[in-house]
Amino acid sequence: MAEKEKKVKKHSKTTEQVSPKEIAERIKKTAESMVGQIGKQQDPEFTTMQRGKSNVVWDEKKGYLELGEKEVTRTFLNIAHARKFMQTTLIMQKAQDYLSHNKTASIREIYYELKHTIADTKENTFEGQDESDPIIVDLEHSVDTIREKLNLHANPKGTLYGDVTLLDRMHNNDKFNASKLGRGGWSIMSRVEPEEIELVDSNAEYLLVAETEAIFERLIEEGFPKKNKCLLIGTGGQAARGTRRLIHRVHKELDLPVYVFTDGDPYGWYIYSVIKQGSMALAAHSEFMSVPEAKYIGMTIDDIKEYDLQAVTEHMKEGDIKRAKEMMAYPWFQNKEWQDQLKKALDQKVRIEQQALANKRLDFVATHYLPEKIRNKQFLP
Amino acid sequence: MSGKEIKEKSSKKSNGDEKSDIIVKAAANLEKEFKEHSVAEFFKKNKQMIGLYGKVRTLTMIVHEYVTNSLDACEETGILPNIDVKIDELGEEYYEVTVTDNGPGISKENVGKAFGKLLAGTKFHRLKQSRGQQGIGCAGCTLLSQMTTGKPTKIITGKEGAKAISLELTIDPSHNEPKMNEVKELEKDFRGTAVRAKFKGVLYRDSEQGALEYLRRTVIANPHAQISFRDPLGQKTVFKRTQTELPELATEIKPHPKGVTVDDIISMGKRSGARSVAGFLNNEFDRMGAKALDEVKKRVDFDLGKDPKKIEWDEAEQIIKAFKQIDFIAPTTDSLRPIGEKQIQNSLQAIVKPDFLTVMTRKPTVYAGGYPFQVEIAIAFGGGAGRKVGEETKMEIMRFANRVPLLFDQGNCALTKSVQTIDWKRYDIKDLDNSPLTVFVNFISVHIPYTGAGKQAIADEEEVLEECRLALMQTGRKAGVYISHRRRAGENQQKRLMFYKYIPEICKALSIITKASEDSLKKNMEKMVLAKLKIEDQKEAEDNAKTEKTLAADENSIVVDNNKKEKTKKEGKK
Repeated sequence: MAEKEKKVKKHSKTTEQVSPKEIAERIKKTAESMVGQIGKQQDPEFTTMQRGKSNVVWDEKKGYLELGEKEVTRTFLNIAHARKFMQTTLIMQKAQDYLSHNKTASIREIYYELKHTIADTKENTFEGQDESDPIIVDLEHSVDTIREKLNLHANPKGTLYGDVTLLDRMHNNDKFNASKLGRGGWSIMSRVEPEEIELVDSNAEYLLVAETEAIFERLIEEGFPKKNKCLLIGTGGQAARGTRRLIHRVHKELDLPVYVFTDGDPYGWYIYSVIKQGSMALAAHSEFMSVPEAKYIGMTIDDIKEYDLQAVTEHMKEGDIKRAKEMMAYPWFQNKEWQDQLKKALDQKVRIEQQALANKRLDFVATHYLPEKIRNKQFLP
Repeated sequence: MSGKEIKEKSSKKSNGDEKSDIIVKAAANLEKEFKEHSVAEFFKKNKQMIGLYGKVRTLTMIVHEYVTNSLDACEETGILPNIDVKIDELGEEYYEVTVTDNGPGISKENVGKAFGKLLAGTKFHRLKQSRGQQGIGCAGCTLLSQMTTGKPTKIITGKEGAKAISLELTIDPSHNEPKMNEVKELEKDFRGTAVRAKFKGVLYRDSEQGALEYLRRTVIANPHAQISFRDPLGQKTVFKRTQTELPELATEIKPHPKGVTVDDIISMGKRSGARSVAGFLNNEFDRMGAKALDEVKKRVDFDLGKDPKKIEWDEAEQIIKAFKQIDFIAPTTDSLRPIGEKQIQNSLQAIVKPDFLTVMTRKPTVYAGGYPFQVEIAIAFGGGAGRKVGEETKMEIMRFANRVPLLFDQGNCALTKSVQTIDWKRYDIKDLDNSPLTVFVNFISVHIPYTGAGKQAIADEEEVLEECRLALMQTGRKAGVYISHRRRAGENQQKRLMFYKYIPEICKALSIITKASEDSLKKNMEKMVLAKLKIEDQKEAEDNAKTEKTLAADENSIVVDNNKKEKTKKEGKK
């Protein structure tokens, strides 16, 4: 049974200005509306934005994905909704509790806090985190905020290295430079809102985002950030929310160009597209996370010939082929360069990893590949 | 080797070949030996041919022989059968079987014939609905016992008003003759027959092919019988009778011209008292009137006035050929004795204890042009229906031929095939094999078309398959009405529970956020659910009324209401 669909106007107030108290108030209002409905013996309702491809809009002018205007209403007296409705009230209660007591928790912690067996059944309130995570996103959208404002965060992932000074307002106002924390750099927190982490200043000229931790470490070992006056962020696969938020802030607040370096395959290219234009799952938050001006360095299918890497390519798997075909159809991939890349990949059925450059020499990536590409402005849009 | 071949070989002697002399001598010996081979010897060497293979199967077969013997004896003398079966384990693959009945008893003169002479009971071409020998007969059991253990079979038997006797019986296999020892007259009063024999190389299992299941099914198809059983572990089961009238005895019928062979004609002619072939045909065959006789006359080249004892092979062939060409009226079918819809209903209800039951006895019809037959079908669903395998319940097919359970060769049987070719999804049975379903099929005929000597599967006669399918579809439809109704009722109940279980969680959460009273929230939400389901209840009630009306109008169906323990429609409980 599909949840009820209707079109409404979005909240107009910008998320960044909302205080925790106000968020707590919004949750309370939603709960009170449910209580009112129950009092009148009406089926209680919970309304949120519809998510997924069918409600994602590509805004070409802004350069990022936005959530459309379709809403869904979840009601209790519907066999298909009843369990989710129950779960929603539990998440509402817990988020409200965190906000009013000034606590924060990971989305895994809230899952464990709320998981228990429902009385007289063999059923748990949540059977896995995959059940609680979507409800959290429902609530974010329902009260028009982002997860971080609900005092919830995902597991952190991603690392920052380079000459940038940060101030941690939540921890003794520690002030530190991300090039002086050893080779490991600074672990990007899942919440990097300005009221917690301040970007004080930087001498860097650009930000390089690398997909794999291995390349991140290689570049530090070769002294690349210092020699090239850049900041370096390793995403470790798909960029986490905190990492995307930080890339967005470095770009906006420090006014640095952002270059992205991933594996040359549909998965890597999609990582780039999420950093640049936002994701379908979090389309509502693109405004605060995407970097439409970001540029793509590589790997590209053309690099294989250019750098004589024919011997170290890999075959595309079935999943890669399927993904490439899907991506070719996305509106934000409708430009000559990317259609060309995807087509070449599909024609040759090959992919090329970042680390394949080690086939030349270990330091080739740091001494030749990246500097040359950046010097010649050899980017994909 | 036949005598004809031997003659041919002996004719070679005139060729003066020395070698052939030896061959002729050997052949003569062989012939002599062959003549001395009695039926018993033949049996001894060819056990497999008559279905005696498999350790479990053999033990079940033995029980079958004794029980069938008892049932037949009781029915023929108007006694309601009480049969007691015991199996004791004496050692590894070594068992003793004891069967006691309350039948008429056997006179001393006849005991040997009944338990000690193979093929003694078989009558030539007896066209009568009977349980028939499916395997070896009681004498076969006696022989098997003595072959595997060297021990005699012990028998106690007594007739009404006479003193009971006990004796020990063995068979002389080369002469097929019974030998009685230790014959004693007993002082105590006993009417009936008790037989006890030991067997090696057999095995008892509490399985679908075991004696317990055999007896359970026997009572289902013979509701006038009561059988108690004690298994090797000492567990006792009593299957009570649900009918106190004896079934009407089947009458013998004359063979229909379409159902005989050349050999039948010759042997029947030899036994006939008629003076002419015309008289013989007229007297001994069904549907053989003057007009049909004329038709035969036109088609044969010999005089129908000749002595029927002297019909030659080629003359018999002409008669059969004529029979095939002539249009005869279908055979009379009034000789068939079905168990009866009510009787099956009662016995399945008492023994299987299903939640739903529907029964149908089809009208008699004919297969292969010359054999009358009839099928009886019952479908039982839910409750005790189906076969329990561990935690699961599987569908089971109970096959019978003239009330005798068929436990083996299920896959080759036309009755099984007819069940498998039904599209059960139409009757709301989504997964046939894993449904709590018992399908009962009784095939009744004066002549059962078995597929093999084991006599456990019925051949794929087109008319038989068609009759079974029709009956299965008709009963299946009724079962479908019940099953889909029951499923819907279950779904509504589940819905109610599903809403109710979430209410406490929701009310607690909302009460913490808003400080509203948890109790009043709960009350309101429960009311709300009931209000919603009431609308659906109304639909359900209408649904119920419709289903009950449909099933109540049908006297062959029973719905057991678990709440009221038992609710029977009209006829069912009379």
